[in-house]
Amino acid sequence: MKIKFTYLFIFGLLFISAINSFKKSDNIDNFQLLTTETEFVADTKIELNFSSINEKLPKLYLSNSYGTTILKPNLLNGVLNFQLPESISKKTGIVTWKLLLDTVKLTGSFNINPKQEVSTLETYIGPPSIVAGGTDFSMIVIIPTDLFDNPLLDNTEVNVRHLFLKDLSNKAHFTKNRFAYQNIYSPALSGRILVSSESLNKNSKEYDVNVLPAIPNDFTISYKRNHAFADGNQVTSFFTSTIKDQYGNIVSDGTYVEYFIRTDSNVILKTSGTTIRGVATAKMIHPDHEENWIVKAFIEGMAESNVLELMYEPVISDFEISFSENKRIITIGPLKSFMSQLIPDGIEVKISIYQNDSKMSTITKSSFEGFAIFKLNANTFPNDTYTLKIEAVGIEKTFRNLKLW
Amino acid sequence: MVNINKNILRSFLLLSYVAILALIIFGISSLYSYLNLGADRNTMLHTEIKKIDQYIPRLDWAPLSNEGRKIDEQTLSTIENDYLDAWYVKHVAYKTNNTEGIDDYYTENARRNIIDFVALNLSSTITIDGTTLEHHPKLEFFSEDGQLAVITDKDVIEYKRIYQNEKLVLETKERNTYKSILLLEDGFWRIRHMIKEQSDDYEMNIVPSLHQITTLQGINYYPQATPWDMFGDTFSKEIISKDFEIIKNAGLNSVRVFVQYDDFGKANINEVKLEKLKQTLDSAEEHNLKVLVTLFDFYGDYSVLNWTLNMHHAETIVSTLKDHKAIVAWDIKNEPNLDFESRGKENVIAWLDNMIDLVKSIDKKNPVTIGWSNTQSATILKDKVDFISFHYYEDLETLETSIKTLKTETLHKPLVMQEFGRSSYNGFWSPFGSSDEDQADFHKKAQEIIAANDLQFMSWTLYDFENIPKEVVGRLPWRKNAQKQFGFINNNGAKKASFKYISKQ
Repeated sequence: MKIKFTYLFIFGLLFISAINSFKKSDNIDNFQLLTTETEFVADTKIELNFSSINEKLPKLYLSNSYGTTILKPNLLNGVLNFQLPESISKKTGIVTWKLLLDTVKLTGSFNINPKQEVSTLETYIGPPSIVAGGTDFSMIVIIPTDLFDNPLLDNTEVNVRHLFLKDLSNKAHFTKNRFAYQNIYSPALSGRILVSSESLNKNSKEYDVNVLPAIPNDFTISYKRNHAFADGNQVTSFFTSTIKDQYGNIVSDGTYVEYFIRTDSNVILKTSGTTIRGVATAKMIHPDHEENWIVKAFIEGMAESNVLELMYEPVISDFEISFSENKRIITIGPLKSFMSQLIPDGIEVKISIYQNDSKMSTITKSSFEGFAIFKLNANTFPNDTYTLKIEAVGIEKTFRNLKLW
Repeated sequence: MVNINKNILRSFLLLSYVAILALIIFGISSLYSYLNLGADRNTMLHTEIKKIDQYIPRLDWAPLSNEGRKIDEQTLSTIENDYLDAWYVKHVAYKTNNTEGIDDYYTENARRNIIDFVALNLSSTITIDGTTLEHHPKLEFFSEDGQLAVITDKDVIEYKRIYQNEKLVLETKERNTYKSILLLEDGFWRIRHMIKEQSDDYEMNIVPSLHQITTLQGINYYPQATPWDMFGDTFSKEIISKDFEIIKNAGLNSVRVFVQYDDFGKANINEVKLEKLKQTLDSAEEHNLKVLVTLFDFYGDYSVLNWTLNMHHAETIVSTLKDHKAIVAWDIKNEPNLDFESRGKENVIAWLDNMIDLVKSIDKKNPVTIGWSNTQSATILKDKVDFISFHYYEDLETLETSIKTLKTETLHKPLVMQEFGRSSYNGFWSPFGSSDEDQADFHKKAQEIIAANDLQFMSWTLYDFENIPKEVVGRLPWRKNAQKQFGFINNNGAKKASFKYISKQ
């Protein structure tokens, strides 16, 4: 009884498989992929072949990294042949295909790999200038590509070389995500790093990275002047020492240095200069009266100098004043300088006119050939008594109850 | 006799004179207004916002762990924009076989690949209508000078329809992984290299929703004063609350409401309208009613390039409301089969198919259906929906057989008669139309069939309406007038005879 059952079972199985195979042979769209490779190398010519038992010419759907298309076959001796267009065969990545049939789905995919030969070393380097001292760096990114502009496979060796002064460095990298990169750190000295790369015996061209000096250290200042007299005419020059960064690099030309001069009356005068070979020069005209200057220079936000004290001696101890024409014309002078010469033109002379302790007016004039002449207009100052205060080269003279008529 | 003839002639002359004058004045005035048309002054300052959303697939960045320089949000979002635009211009290029825009988003070497493909497809009249639905990019690398970025975009869901000689050759949905190297050139992040690293056919698994509808007895709802404009300026929660009370007291347990695509702001959902929808749901919850939300009404584009916009619309609504207790199910689209002829059946079905996938990927709890306008179409996508919905405005005689066929064809998935009803209009435009009694009789019979077949239902509709927008049934007065009187409650607020049969009791 048991044996009977087994027989029946086996018979049943055979029957079912017979039905199945019958079904298959009944299927007229019996195409099979003949091409066995699933890995290709990018090329101008790649083809796919299918076996065909009938005259049908199904089309082929193809899709790669960039696009999708439909191909028509060529039927040659029972082989369905598809020539891949160059826009597919030349580009790397996975390519999926579907044979477009009504009844069965025949699909698959294959890989196109780049030809492992470097045609171009696509190099990106930046930033182009960095600061000396070893903390700042520039990055070089290299994408080795093949003849058809495909990046090579991962784990391709790329050598990055860079030279600074006499130090040549060579480091090997293996591409990941289709590229290799290296950080190039700045040396302590400023200058230029030359960079190049190499992969599979293909060398790149030369690239360079500028190494700029780091932020400047504090510096000292000095001055130079013809004489120490406050003649309001000569010029005092200020100089910095050679400004350097902490590694001894002279700061870049054009570094802006600002000088602050504080006078006795707490007025701040400013002058500035830019560095040439590390030295920034600035000038300031002498004061026209006795004064002490306190000078300090800054490179804003980075460095400062020592404090310098300058003294300017008075050039005149006294001057004469004469009145004429009903005391309405006031002549001041001659103003004489340190060698009793007439003081150079342009010394400021100031007259303040008061009436009953209230200031009416201030008139300012520059000296000309040693004299300054004021005329008090009768319309502005009617006949009355006034107080005059005359200031020049830091000397003040007062005339009380001066009667004008 | 002569006199009359003369008068006729006179009046004809007079009238034609007036008509000619009117025409001349109209002609001159339109010429005048044409000549006065100029550029709008405010365009001088170029203050208008140029950026419009045209492509917003779902995009999730992997957590940032890139090599190289740390990236900031701003740059990442610029990269994202340009990267998506690159995809968009590529889709457009392959759809139109025109390379406009490619230059902006692909570098000189990379764009050659696309130009070659366009030339190839153009030569064999192939066009590809494609889009991507999801992106999962991971930033692999960002260079120190901020000019180069490498992205691995994992599991890009790519949908394509390939036409040759304007005939659909293949429809395919793939899941691909791409590696892209982008360069910052002229202010654009341009694709320099693109490599497809993985690819397989993609089909989302059909997962039944966690919840299922069991006893839906409801009604299609619009407020009486504002039909088809429920969430407009005159939205009032009080009116809705009052109506929901009537519905609840009538023995019903659910309502169906509609989201109109344009009205809700298309891809950029109007927050105010969404809030009003939420208030409607709140009100339903207060009255212990469930709500079936129809996600797309008055929408009929379906073009593949706009899918991402439609999906963004649905995604915003579904993700905002999915946990609301009043939600009972999502109706993807109202009567999509009516667009088969004008938009192409395959287009519409593909759109629905993908929209179901999207809604189900966001909301695993609530069931999903499609509001087919008849029983014949109701089997389309029957395996993907959680329950079958159909509308029935035909003769009740054939309803029972239709239900039976549907039940066997859909393997006894829950069945909802989502719209049915009869107008009580008989008047000038339809002198032999139905009366209130006929309507009552219709609903009585319908309820009998519903009871006999254990059918779930939502009738059309609570109120008679005064104004029907032309988008609903067109401008023809016999249609419009009939549509006005489908309600259980008439314009005076009185319950019609049919109200007795609004529910099963």
